Amino acid sequence: MSRIFEHPILMRRSARTVRFYFEGKELEAVEGETVAAALIANGIDVFGETERGKPRGFFCAIGKCSSCLMIVDGEPNVRVCITPVKEGMKVQRQFGRSGVPW
Amino acid sequence: MVKTQLLVVGGGPAGLCGAIEASRRGVETLIVDEGVELGGQLVKQTHKFFGHEGFYASVRGFEIAKRLKDQLNEHVKIMLQTTVTGIYEDVVVLYDRQNDVPLEVQADYILLATGASERFIQFENNHLPGVYGAGAVQTLMNQFMVLPGRRFLMVGSGNIGLIVSYQLLQAGAEVAAIVEIADRIGGYDVHLRKIKRFGIPVLLRHTIKKALGQEKVSGAIVVQVDENFQPIEGTEKEFAVDAICIATGLVPSVELAAMANVKIEYVPELGGFVPYRDQNMRTNVENIFIAGDLAGIEEATTAMIEGRIAGLTIAQSITKANLSREIESLQRELIEFRSGPFSEKVRRGLAKFFPQRVVEYSREPQVDSGPVGKLRPIIECYENIPCNPCQTSCPTGAIVVGGNINSLPKIDYEKCTGCGICVSKCPGLAIFMVQENVEPGFDLVIVPYEMLPVPEEGERVIALDRDGKQVCEAQVIRIVRFPHKTNLVHLKVPAGYATRVRNFRVKKQENVFVCKCEEVTLEDIEKAIDLGFTDYEELRRYLRIGMGMCGGRTCRSLVLSILSRKLGKSPEELLKGHFRPPVMPTKFESILRGESNED
Repeated sequence: MSRIFEHPILMRRSARTVRFYFEGKELEAVEGETVAAALIANGIDVFGETERGKPRGFFCAIGKCSSCLMIVDGEPNVRVCITPVKEGMKVQRQFGRSGVPW
Repeated sequence: MVKTQLLVVGGGPAGLCGAIEASRRGVETLIVDEGVELGGQLVKQTHKFFGHEGFYASVRGFEIAKRLKDQLNEHVKIMLQTTVTGIYEDVVVLYDRQNDVPLEVQADYILLATGASERFIQFENNHLPGVYGAGAVQTLMNQFMVLPGRRFLMVGSGNIGLIVSYQLLQAGAEVAAIVEIADRIGGYDVHLRKIKRFGIPVLLRHTIKKALGQEKVSGAIVVQVDENFQPIEGTEKEFAVDAICIATGLVPSVELAAMANVKIEYVPELGGFVPYRDQNMRTNVENIFIAGDLAGIEEATTAMIEGRIAGLTIAQSITKANLSREIESLQRELIEFRSGPFSEKVRRGLAKFFPQRVVEYSREPQVDSGPVGKLRPIIECYENIPCNPCQTSCPTGAIVVGGNINSLPKIDYEKCTGCGICVSKCPGLAIFMVQENVEPGFDLVIVPYEMLPVPEEGERVIALDRDGKQVCEAQVIRIVRFPHKTNLVHLKVPAGYATRVRNFRVKKQENVFVCKCEEVTLEDIEKAIDLGFTDYEELRRYLRIGMGMCGGRTCRSLVLSILSRKLGKSPEELLKGHFRPPVMPTKFESILRGESNED
């Protein structure tokens, strides 16, 4: 939704940015953050759809619930809430268990 | 194949403390964690911890994570972004996600500190993006500084629900309400008071019925429940929110323990299915230990103590050194921590594994509020929780919690010098300073403040009471800043308000424009008049009002009427200000061209 630039307690850790791709569109992320954080910061909260076509987003953000599975650099079922975003990374929405073989 | 004496699964407070104690005694330790950094859920805790200074009371959670990491020594190896996928009879299998390879580990001892996951609840459309675990929102906003919504509904009023609500305010978000299905708040009273002071409604006997939205959350329907927790039809309320936080509890992550043949028992008081363990955190499997939320949902301080007990017991088994004194001392700490009323449930749960003991504490509250007219703290801490930094930080020994940290603090106003250190140290932000008649007609109230914006000295703010209701105007006369970021704001309030004012709100920059060209607001003009600018020309020079592109057509008469009102003069008495060419902006280029035409 939005980044927090001013906080009464916390300081931003890194100002360095990396570029990554979401569904082919180039987006900016802050170095060291997870793919999930980068997507939310860019206003993307629908990470994919279930087998039956229901929208799906993240839920626990610590790798426990598997609600945030996406296709990252061609690999499906990646828990993007515990995967750091990398320069040039290609992130795609996952539909169901995805058509990608694994 | 990797060999290690101790494998620690999970690098949160429990796992880290276990690794610290074991490695300090020379035990070769490998910590494996799924996350991108060590510290577990400590890294997203921005509030100051309760407890006593021996266990980092008054230190913010993310700072505690740093201090724990600093205590790891050369005997510790760390693997991050690595999952323990299974525990077999002869080997533990890891999956290193970064290198995309599995790895086998043989460990003499295993400490499982796998923590817990968010308890999911059932309501219509609970699958929608925008329905988030409260801990998830905390991870995003406090670890990565990203807000996944603007206006939140909090479901659940345990400590996590209350803390995350407060932290959402700190991050600049709104909290529409907190709903709690029970008839009382689940978390600490001091956490509740922190959010009530900001006027956040808390609806008891209410729960969420439905999330609204197609692709993502656009609202929530909340409903009242009867004594059997069943929805009462016709009591639905709709909230316009873009995110719903679920803070209804945690479930221990027992999978690996179960695979390792640890007995799993159903103990609802500890969070559901939990592994069996004894007082030394040893399970029924000789070389497998557990600690932290996996051993029963509690909080980070007890997780750290449990981790230390496990680490010491493991070190004792490996090195054969006698560490029973250290272990027993930590067990006594746990007994003391768990003696209060909040741990009653945990005690009942743990009693299924081994007998529980409690130590007595004082329930007697402070009765007097000190001599009127003296600058002095008022401690609004009425619940027996394990916490004593007010006592340990007081330089004159005026505040006493006593031998058991669950006792209520008592203050001896004779000994108190009014230094205010306790106000800044109290993790519950439950101490305020007051002084009546600090000047004729005015009282002084000093409040702890951890929000933005920080007002300026001299600024007038809206004073709020304990329920966040506006009670009067106050003037900020001083701000004392601390490195730990709890600022002490000194408020001058009208006489008689010292007992009521406990918070304030900075007046919003109101978008009431008088001059659109130069963006000058009514507030700017009124402030300037208060400062002594009492003439249109003066205001023009000071604020640039009337100097914009329209030449003052829009604002001149408005400014004159504001001056008239504020100064109590009729418009005829006021100087109208000068009128100068050009009446409409004219390009210098054109003017110059005109000059050249004259040649």
